[in-house]
Amino acid sequence: MVVGDIATGTELLVIGAGPGGYVAAIRAAQNGIDTTLVEKDAYGGTCLNYGCIPSKALITGANLAHEAGNAEEMGIHADPVVDMSQLRDWKSGVVDQLTGGVEKLCKANGVNLVEGTARFKDENAVRIAHGGEGQGSETIEFEHCIIATGSRVIQIPGFDFGDEPVWSSRDALEADTVPERLVVVGGGYIGMELSTTFAKLGADVTVVEMLDDILPGYESDVARVVRERAEDLGIDMHFGEGASGWRDEDDGIMVTTETEDGEENEYRADKVLVAVGRSPVTDTMDIESAGLEADDRGFLSVDECRRTDVEHIYAVGDVVEDTPMLAHVASKEGIVAAEHVAGEPVAFDSQAVPAAVFTDPEIGTVGMTEADAEEAGFTPVVGQMPFRASGRALTTNHADGFVRVVADEESGFVLGAQIVGPEASELIAELAFAIEMGATLEDVASTIHTHPTLAEAVMEAAENALGQAIHTLNR
Amino acid sequence: MSSQNLTIVQAVRDGLYTEMNLDDEVLVMGEDVGKNGGVFRATEGLKDEFGGDRVIDTPLAESGIVGTAIGMAAMGLKPVPEIQFSGFMYPGFDQIVSHMGRFRNRTRGRYTLPMVLRAPYGGGIRAPESHSESKEMFYAHEAGLKVVIPSTPYDTKGLLISAIRDPDPVIFMEPKLIYRAFRGEVPEEDYTVPIGEAAVRREGTDVSVFTFGAMTRPTLEAVENLEEEGIDAEVVDIRTISPLDRETIVESFKKTGRAVVVHEAPKNGGLGAEITATIQEEALLYQEAPVKRVAGYDVPYPLYALEDYYLPSVARVEEGIREAVNF
Amino acid sequence: MALKEFKLPDVGEGVAEGELVTWHVAPGDEVTEDQVLAEVETDKALVDVPSPFNGTVEELLAEEGEVVPVGDVIITIREDGDDEETAKAADADADAETADSETAESDDADDGSSSGGRVFAPPSVRRLARELGVDLDSVDGSGPSGRVTEGDVRAAAEDDGDGDEPNGPRTVQSNGKSATAKRDEGTSASAAASAESADREQTLAAPATRALAKEEGVDIDAVPATEMRDGEAFVSPDAVAEYAQAQREAQAADAEAVAAEPDAGAATAEATGDAASEPAPPETGPGAGERVPYKGVRKAIGDQMQRSKYTAPHVTHHDEVDVTELVELREQLKPVAEDRGSRLTYMPFVMKAVVAALKDFPYLNSQLDEDNEEIVLRDEYNIGVAAATDAGLLVPVVRDADRKGMLELADEMNEKVEKARNRKIAPEEMRGGTFTITNIGGIGGEYATPIVNYPEVAILALGAIKDKPRVVDGEVVPRKVLTLSLSFDHRVVDGAQGARFTNRVKELLEDPKLLVLE
Repeated sequence: MVVGDIATGTELLVIGAGPGGYVAAIRAAQNGIDTTLVEKDAYGGTCLNYGCIPSKALITGANLAHEAGNAEEMGIHADPVVDMSQLRDWKSGVVDQLTGGVEKLCKANGVNLVEGTARFKDENAVRIAHGGEGQGSETIEFEHCIIATGSRVIQIPGFDFGDEPVWSSRDALEADTVPERLVVVGGGYIGMELSTTFAKLGADVTVVEMLDDILPGYESDVARVVRERAEDLGIDMHFGEGASGWRDEDDGIMVTTETEDGEENEYRADKVLVAVGRSPVTDTMDIESAGLEADDRGFLSVDECRRTDVEHIYAVGDVVEDTPMLAHVASKEGIVAAEHVAGEPVAFDSQAVPAAVFTDPEIGTVGMTEADAEEAGFTPVVGQMPFRASGRALTTNHADGFVRVVADEESGFVLGAQIVGPEASELIAELAFAIEMGATLEDVASTIHTHPTLAEAVMEAAENALGQAIHTLNR
Repeated sequence: MSSQNLTIVQAVRDGLYTEMNLDDEVLVMGEDVGKNGGVFRATEGLKDEFGGDRVIDTPLAESGIVGTAIGMAAMGLKPVPEIQFSGFMYPGFDQIVSHMGRFRNRTRGRYTLPMVLRAPYGGGIRAPESHSESKEMFYAHEAGLKVVIPSTPYDTKGLLISAIRDPDPVIFMEPKLIYRAFRGEVPEEDYTVPIGEAAVRREGTDVSVFTFGAMTRPTLEAVENLEEEGIDAEVVDIRTISPLDRETIVESFKKTGRAVVVHEAPKNGGLGAEITATIQEEALLYQEAPVKRVAGYDVPYPLYALEDYYLPSVARVEEGIREAVNF
Repeated sequence: MALKEFKLPDVGEGVAEGELVTWHVAPGDEVTEDQVLAEVETDKALVDVPSPFNGTVEELLAEEGEVVPVGDVIITIREDGDDEETAKAADADADAETADSETAESDDADDGSSSGGRVFAPPSVRRLARELGVDLDSVDGSGPSGRVTEGDVRAAAEDDGDGDEPNGPRTVQSNGKSATAKRDEGTSASAAASAESADREQTLAAPATRALAKEEGVDIDAVPATEMRDGEAFVSPDAVAEYAQAQREAQAADAEAVAAEPDAGAATAEATGDAASEPAPPETGPGAGERVPYKGVRKAIGDQMQRSKYTAPHVTHHDEVDVTELVELREQLKPVAEDRGSRLTYMPFVMKAVVAALKDFPYLNSQLDEDNEEIVLRDEYNIGVAAATDAGLLVPVVRDADRKGMLELADEMNEKVEKARNRKIAPEEMRGGTFTITNIGGIGGEYATPIVNYPEVAILALGAIKDKPRVVDGEVVPRKVLTLSLSFDHRVVDGAQGARFTNRVKELLEDPKLLVLE
C-alpha cells in the first residue's frame, strides 16, 4: 500500500500474548517502557483460550452435574441432563470475557497491540505479517525482546489431529456433544483431568498409559487416591501400553495399542483423545536470524533473569527449558523479564513452584517431596493429616486424600507439601507462601486456622510433623 | 498541561490538528490526505474533524497542488499543501521557485505567501526511484524560501506551527526514515520552536558535528561510541537549512576548531559545503583541521540493495570524526 | 570448628614478598599456637612463621619454593572449639532426639553443604539482597533457624564497604582538549622547560601556521603568542619558527653527564630539590651576587644528571691499564689510517674493547624497566662518545659498534663529534645509546666518578695516558698508563661484575692483539 518500509521503533517487543507475554507487557508498560505486544491468534494464549480456563469451566460443569446426580446419600435425588453445546457456549463466554479483559488491560496500560505473526530479521528487528485487517507487513525495530510463544500439543505418529475422531485437548474442550466412548492416550494431568470430566459427563472412558501408573511425577500414594477414585467413576486404566494407531469401524473407531513386549490390544471408541504432552513453539520465528538456537527439543536456555544467549532477548514460559510448563511460572518469568528490562534488580529465585491437578480429588503440590529433601541433604520430618479426620471434609462428603507437609527436622523449615483431596489446588497456596517466607513448621502450626475449614488440615499436618497433632495420632 | 508520547509522524498530525483548531484559515491539501488520512497517516482523522473544505484531496498533479496553494495563500488563506514524497516536488519546481519563492519580492511586499509545503524526504526505506530524495539544497538556494527539517517529535510539532504562522513560505521536510522509529514527549497545547535556530544536542570540546533530520540518529550513536576512545564531540542539530544559523555553527567551531558535517544529501553542493565556507570566512584562525563532510555519494540515489552503502552509517560517521580529530 | 585462613605476615623491613622455603606441617596435623608452620626467606633472612591458632591443618596453599606476596593466604587451619554461631540455632522446635545434633550442626546459612541450593529468606529480603549486591549464601541469618532477615542483609551490605554501585552512565572526562591534547604531548620532549613556553588551552593561528608547527614538532599552544585577535592569543609563523629553534637547542642537550665536577650532583640536587620552598635571595650579604639564568641546555643537562644520579645508586670502580703496546700499535696504524682518509685515535680501540667486554657481561649493556620490573638486556651495541661543546656535554651515539670496522668507527665517531661541536647534530643521532664512553683525559685528570647516562646502566671514563713508573720483570720502567673509571647502577650490576668487566677491557687494551679475535 505505502511505498517503502518505514520501521517502527519500540523499546520492548513481546512476542505472544499468553500468560507469559501479556503479563510481561503490562508490567513493562507500568515501568514506563514503550512496549509493543504481538499476537497472531487470541489474547490470553493457550491458557485462556484452549487450556486452563476452558478446562476448569468444563470441570465445574461436569462436577456440578455429577454431584447433583450422586447425592442420594444426602437425601438429594436428581438426574441432571447436560446440554453439552450450551455448556460449551457458556464456557466460551467466560473465555471471551477474559480475553477481552486482557486486551483492555493492555491498552489501559499503554501497550501497543499488533495482530500478526513475527519473524526475526536480525537481532534487533522483526518482520510482522499482519493478521486481521492489515497492511501486509511491517518491520519493528526493538531494543529488547521477550519471546513468549508458548507451546503446542504433541502429535504422535498414527494420530493426526486433522482427522475427525482424533482429538487434541483443544478439540476436546470444544466438544459440543459427549462421546459415548472415549479413549484417552496419556495418563498425565491433562489426560486425567479430561478423563474425569468426560466420565462425569457420562462417557465411557478408557485411559491408555505407557508407564505403569497415572500421573508420573507425583508420588505413588498421591496418584493412588486419584486412580482409585477414577476407577470408582468407571474409568478403565491400562498401563504399560502405547497407542499404535486407529482405524474406522462401522460403529465408531478402533484404537490399537502395543505393550513393550509386543502384545497388542484394541479398544472401541467414538473419539480418541491424545494428551501426551506439549512441545515449545520456537520453530516459526526464524530465531537463528537473531542469533538464537533452541535445543533439540525446541527449548531455549536462559539465565536467572530469563535472558537468552543474546543479551537483550529474553524468553519466558513454555519455551524455556528446565522449568515447569505452567501458566503461573510463565507469568512470574514474564514479570522478572519485564522488570529486568526496566533495570530492577530481579531474578527468578522462587524457592518453590506450586502445581495443581484438577482431577477428582484435586492434587496440589509445592516444593520437595520427602525423597527430594533427603537427596538435597536435609533430614526430613514429615507430617500428615488424612481428610477422613477433617470435620469440614466430612461435611462436604469428600474425605478422600490427605495433607502432607515435609520439613527439615533440625531447623523446622518447611520444604514441601503434597495435598490430595478437596480444594487441594487452593490449599496449596498457604504452603507455597510458607516456603517462600522461610517459615518453619512451628510458624504454620501456631497460626490459627479458621474452623471448620479444609485449611485446618494443613495446620494439623504441621502439628503432626512436630509430634503434637490433636486430631490424628502422632507418629 | 499534559503531554503525549508521540512519534514524528504523529507529531506532524498533532501539529496540524492543533493549529487547524486555533486558526480557521489553515487548511490541508494533497494526494490521499483526506479520505485516506495520508499514506503515512500524517493527516489521519483530519477530514472527519474539519470537513472536506479544509482537508482537500487533490488530483495527482504537483504543479497544480503548489500553484493552487500559492493562489490560496495570496488571498489570505494558510494552506499546508503536501507533496507525497519530496522527489515529486520536481514537477512543481517552477511553481515553487519562480513563484512561491518570489512572490514577496515581485509584489514588493504587498503580498506574502503564508503557506507551508510539507513533504517526507530522505532514504533508507527500501523504496524505488524518486522516493528517497534529499535535495533540500535546491530550495535553500532560492532566497525567498525557508527550508526546515526537524529530527524529534517535539521539534516537529513546534517547527510546523512556527512554519504555519510564518507569513512567508516554508518548505517543511520530514525525515520519513524515522517517522515511527521512536517516541518523544509532545505537549498537547500549541507551542513554537523558532525557525532559523540550530540546537546543540550534545556539548563537547574536541570536534563539532553538524547534522540534521534522519542523520542525527547515526551521528549521536557514533558520538556515543567514540566517547570510549576519549573523543568528546559536540553535536549540533541544524534544524533550519535556510536561513542557516551561522552564529551557532561558528560559535561551536570556535570552541573546538574541528568540524564534521553529516548529511545524506550528495556531497557536491550539499549543506556541508555551505557550512565549510561559513567556517572559513568567520573562523579561519580557529581551524585546526579541514572540515570533514560525511555525505551521500555524488551519484543518483541507488536502488535499495545499495542503499545502506550510500547513506552515512554509524561507522562512516565515526571514521569521519576520527579523521577530523586526528588531523 | 571454624576454618581459619592465615595470610603471610609482614616480616618487617618493608618486605613485600617472601619465598616459602620449607613447610613444617602437613594437612591433618594438629598444631598449637606459636608452633612453627613454615620457613620463609625474605631479602636477607630466613624467617620462622608461627601459627596463631590451635587447630588442625586443613590445606597448604603455597608450594615450597614459591614466592608469595605478603597478605596472601598460605595455609588454612580448622580451629578448635568455638561454637558461638550454633547458639543461634532454633529453640525447642526439634524433637528430643535431635537436641544434641543442634550444637554440632551450624546453621544452614553457614554450612553450604546441607542447603541444596535453598535460601531461607522471604522474597522481599531476596530482592533487597540483589539490590544491595549482597550474596545471600554468605549471610548468616539471625532469624529463627537461621532465616535471613532484612537486617542481616543490610548489615552484610555495610560490611562490604562501598558494596555495589548501580550501573550508571559512564562519566566522560572532558578536560579541555582531551583527545587532541594527547597528540601534542608527544611532540615536545622533556626539555619543554626551555626558554619561555606558553601553556594555553586554545590558540588562534592560520592553518598554514599550524602546519608549520606540526612540521617543526612544536605544540602550538606552547608557542609564546605574538598578539591577540578576537580576544584570544594569536601566533604567527615567525613565532613558531623562533620557538622551534629554541626547542631544538634544548632537545639537543637531552643527555650526558659532566665528569669535571665530582659530587656536584649532591650539592646542586639538594639546592634544586628545595628550590620551591626557598625564600627570595637577599640583595646583599651571603647569597647575593650576579644572577645567571639556569635554563636551556644547562638546565636540561642538570635535569638529566639529577634524574640519573638520584634514581640509580652509583658505584665507581677505578683502575689503570698498561697500554704501552696499544700506544705502539696505534703509532704503527696511524699513517695507514691516514692513507685511507681516517684519523685514528685511541677511541676506536677502546670502543672495540668495550663492545667485546659487553658481550661477555651483558648486564652492563642493559636498561632497567622499573614499571615492568624487568632488566632489558639490549641486543644492540650503540656506544655513546661524549664530546664537550660550547653548549655543554653532548653525546653522539655510534650505532651497532659491534658490526663496524675500526676505521669505520673512527670515521663515524669523528664526524659526529665534529657535528656536535658545530651544533649541527640531530637529536636522533644522540639517542638510543646502550653504553657511554667519556674521555676526560683530553682536558687532563686521571680519575672521576662519572654519572651514568640514563637510561643506560654503565659509563666508562678514560683519563689521560701518562708515563708512569711500573715494575716489569722486577725492574722499574716507564710505561704508558691509562686510567679507567667505570660508574654503574648498582641495582643492576654488582661490584664484582663491574670489576670483572673492567678487567676484561683491560685485558684487551693491554694486549691489543687480542682484539683481532673479537
